[in-house]
Amino acid sequence: MPAVQETIEQVRKIDVDQYKYGFETIIEMDKAPKGLSEETIRFISAKKNEPEWMLEWRLGAFRRWLTLEEPTWARVDYPKIDFQDIHYYAAPKNQSGPRSLDEVDPELLKVYEKLGIPLKEQEILAGVQKQPDGELDEANDNVYKSGRVAVDAVFDSVSVVTTFKKELAAAGVIFCSISEAIREHPDLVKKYLGSVVPTTDNFYATLNSAVFTDGSFVYVPKGVRCPMELSTYFRINEKNTGQFERTLIIAEEGAYVSYLEGCTAPQRDENQLHAAVVELIALDDAEIKYSTVQNWYPGDAQGKGGIYNFVTKRGDCRGDRSKISWTQVETGSAITWKYPSCILRGDDSRGEFYSIAVSNGYQQVDSGTKMIHLGKNTSSRIISKGIAAGFSQNTYRGQVSAHRKATNARNFTNCDSLLIGDQCGAHTVPYIEAKNSSAQFEHEATTSKISDDQKFYVMQRGIPEEEAIALIVNGFVKEVIQELPMEFAVEAQKLIGISLEGSVG
Amino acid sequence: MNMHAQQPQRTGAETALLEAYDSRLSVLPGDGAVTVKRDNALEVLKAGLPTKRIEAWHYTDLRRLLTAVPQHDASAVADKLGALLDGSAVLPVLNGVSSANLPSVDGVRFERLEDKLRDGSFAPALEVQGTDDAIGALNAAFVADGYFVDIEADAEIAAPIELQNIQAGGQTHSRFPVRVGDRAKVTIVERQTGEGAGLSTSISHLTLGEGAEVLWIIVQDQPDDSTYLGQFNAALGKDSKLTLFFMNAGGRLVRQEVRVGTAGEGSDFQLRGINLLAGDTHTDVTMVLDHTKPHTGSRELIRNVVTGKARGVFQGRINVHQIAQKTDAKMACNTLLLSDDGEFSTKPELEIFADDVQCGHGATVKEIDHDHLFYLKARGIDEKTARGLLVKAFLAEVIEELEVEPIVEALEARLDQWFATHG
Repeated sequence: MPAVQETIEQVRKIDVDQYKYGFETIIEMDKAPKGLSEETIRFISAKKNEPEWMLEWRLGAFRRWLTLEEPTWARVDYPKIDFQDIHYYAAPKNQSGPRSLDEVDPELLKVYEKLGIPLKEQEILAGVQKQPDGELDEANDNVYKSGRVAVDAVFDSVSVVTTFKKELAAAGVIFCSISEAIREHPDLVKKYLGSVVPTTDNFYATLNSAVFTDGSFVYVPKGVRCPMELSTYFRINEKNTGQFERTLIIAEEGAYVSYLEGCTAPQRDENQLHAAVVELIALDDAEIKYSTVQNWYPGDAQGKGGIYNFVTKRGDCRGDRSKISWTQVETGSAITWKYPSCILRGDDSRGEFYSIAVSNGYQQVDSGTKMIHLGKNTSSRIISKGIAAGFSQNTYRGQVSAHRKATNARNFTNCDSLLIGDQCGAHTVPYIEAKNSSAQFEHEATTSKISDDQKFYVMQRGIPEEEAIALIVNGFVKEVIQELPMEFAVEAQKLIGISLEGSVG
Repeated sequence: MNMHAQQPQRTGAETALLEAYDSRLSVLPGDGAVTVKRDNALEVLKAGLPTKRIEAWHYTDLRRLLTAVPQHDASAVADKLGALLDGSAVLPVLNGVSSANLPSVDGVRFERLEDKLRDGSFAPALEVQGTDDAIGALNAAFVADGYFVDIEADAEIAAPIELQNIQAGGQTHSRFPVRVGDRAKVTIVERQTGEGAGLSTSISHLTLGEGAEVLWIIVQDQPDDSTYLGQFNAALGKDSKLTLFFMNAGGRLVRQEVRVGTAGEGSDFQLRGINLLAGDTHTDVTMVLDHTKPHTGSRELIRNVVTGKARGVFQGRINVHQIAQKTDAKMACNTLLLSDDGEFSTKPELEIFADDVQCGHGATVKEIDHDHLFYLKARGIDEKTARGLLVKAFLAEVIEELEVEPIVEALEARLDQWFATHG
């Protein structure tokens, strides 16, 4: 069990508040003045060389936002955010958009090296060396076979580089930053942007619509199976900035794409805001697989600092027989407020949500999903595993609903929580709404600590206590880990080990 | 979603309630401390009836759903019912008025609530439990009568005590505080019914002493044009045991709240419930269960059948406080949707602050199993009968768990009655 061993090692070595991506890089930055006004939005739009319609769209969202109030229904608690005390735009100087790798500031490249993106990924990122043949032939994972992942690297407010664009273009796949897409593919952006998460959706999504600065855009044309995994790496670096990224993924009829997302931020005493919007659109027979390993800075052992992660993610299974699958491993952020959802509009469409949310220290997690069944014969599956340790609060909040016309809607939900220590809390708040007699919903939830019986069973085979606990925890989350692409699965497993340090044993 | 634009005009029902208070206050029993409590409750009502924005009322937007507020009609007549269980001591509240003719049962003391309101001794109990406690507020403002039941320590009351709250088309508000002494045992039946498009609220407060055992049965079968808002509160003493059974089989707009706290170590709470929903009606059962002491247990099993255009709701929240280690709590809510226009929403919540616990909940929504139906039809049973059998079996399971033969029989008879009209 090397993975388990590794977890134990990680747990032993690292202190509770040692966040290994907490470094800060000094890079000359170009920033918008602090504060939020129509001026700020015009500034961002101008920086991005956006067409007029985009600016209008942003301003419309901003005016709407002014009428909204911050939501308070989530089980999270934080001091009021001063939205005028944030820089809404921060970009490395001389880096207005992604370019070829040679032109990228070497300091920036060092950042990605330091981020612990495995070296081979670095090479891949640099596009210079392919994975040696046969090195990992045991692993039958696509990523390893092809040895390539196309990466869009977003640094504060801008995308600094996108790799493999040429090769993807040959397959007809568009993979670029959203800013570039607005300029180069305005028709697609106009047609789909805001069609899943409208500018009026909710407080943070509306704010994002007004001030988003970058993010990824993916378009997979009809019948194309995207030849490699696509990935975005988000990095917050500057102080007092908010990161507002926007991701839009469109899979045309019969297309398939797997997309990965990772994120980190420096270690700071003050809280920083991250409010992203992700929209997925799957047309007839299309499939989108979206995986996240969220590792924003969670704050220190006393709960000081950390990222506020207020994210709106929604997929629209617009076509018949389409499928959207969300997989998330949430270990970072001081506060997480995130509900990746599926609107099952097409007949026979399917939505999936697999989640592991680990909270330690003073982290607060309020996460879950919504499965909205609208079409006939739609099905959904929710597997959520929450692990709470330290002084953290971990909430699953989800909704499953079948509308009048959603004949034969099916859902299976399983959310389990594990409590480690008696100072933390685990909560489950599912909303189950059936308006169709042929709907079939099953929901189950359990909360417990690691049972003494389980531990005894493992330990009496000569396995020490700490290792036994790690083994059981790994077993607890296995169902979700299995849904992750191989490369992420390894990282995720390590992260869980780190996040639980100080609570295991 | 603009919340600035709130504080809209009062609805007709809200206005009618405030007017009713002005006209009724002078004739409601009690003054001084009781009036202060009534006024406090009115302040809660003045803020408006709860909407779906209030989480506890998420699926029952009372402000929108409560449309008819009839006046109290002192001249209306309600008749006492025959007891559900033979040999019961019956305490009827007819059109909001208790009877001066109190039964005599060894080990039990009965008092009319009106007297306790008049002498002010009941004032402290008229506290509203938070701003979302609309039922508590409505009842505290208008409560006129009910019974206080006090059971001595060590008393084993063989004959069931039946509380009847029977409305007669107007507005009635009653309360039933019940105190069960240490190690005492009793079965209590609560009937909520009547005739006409009434608005009735009823609140029971049960306290169980150390080692006490109570079986409490609520049968609600209001007419299909009435509004019923009920609240059951219980505090469980050390090693006490409460089994609460409810059956909702009527009413146009119904909300039954169940608020239970395991105040004593080793206490146990069992909830069994059946919702029979038909017609164009709305029924909400909302339970909040607080495990506040270590070594306490609870099991909840709710079964629902939805036909016609009925809308059903079950919200169940189990709070496990930090000191409540070794809590063992399980909750299940199963629903059969029998019609295309019916709907059911469930929100089973767990809020857990202690680590050494076993808690779980399950919820299902389904139609009748086609295989089961086929099995019966293959044996020559026609579809309607087969469906009836399956639905009844689904519900009877909950009743049979009560295990006391006369009670099981009486409740199954109620079930058959409902099937005869709605099946």
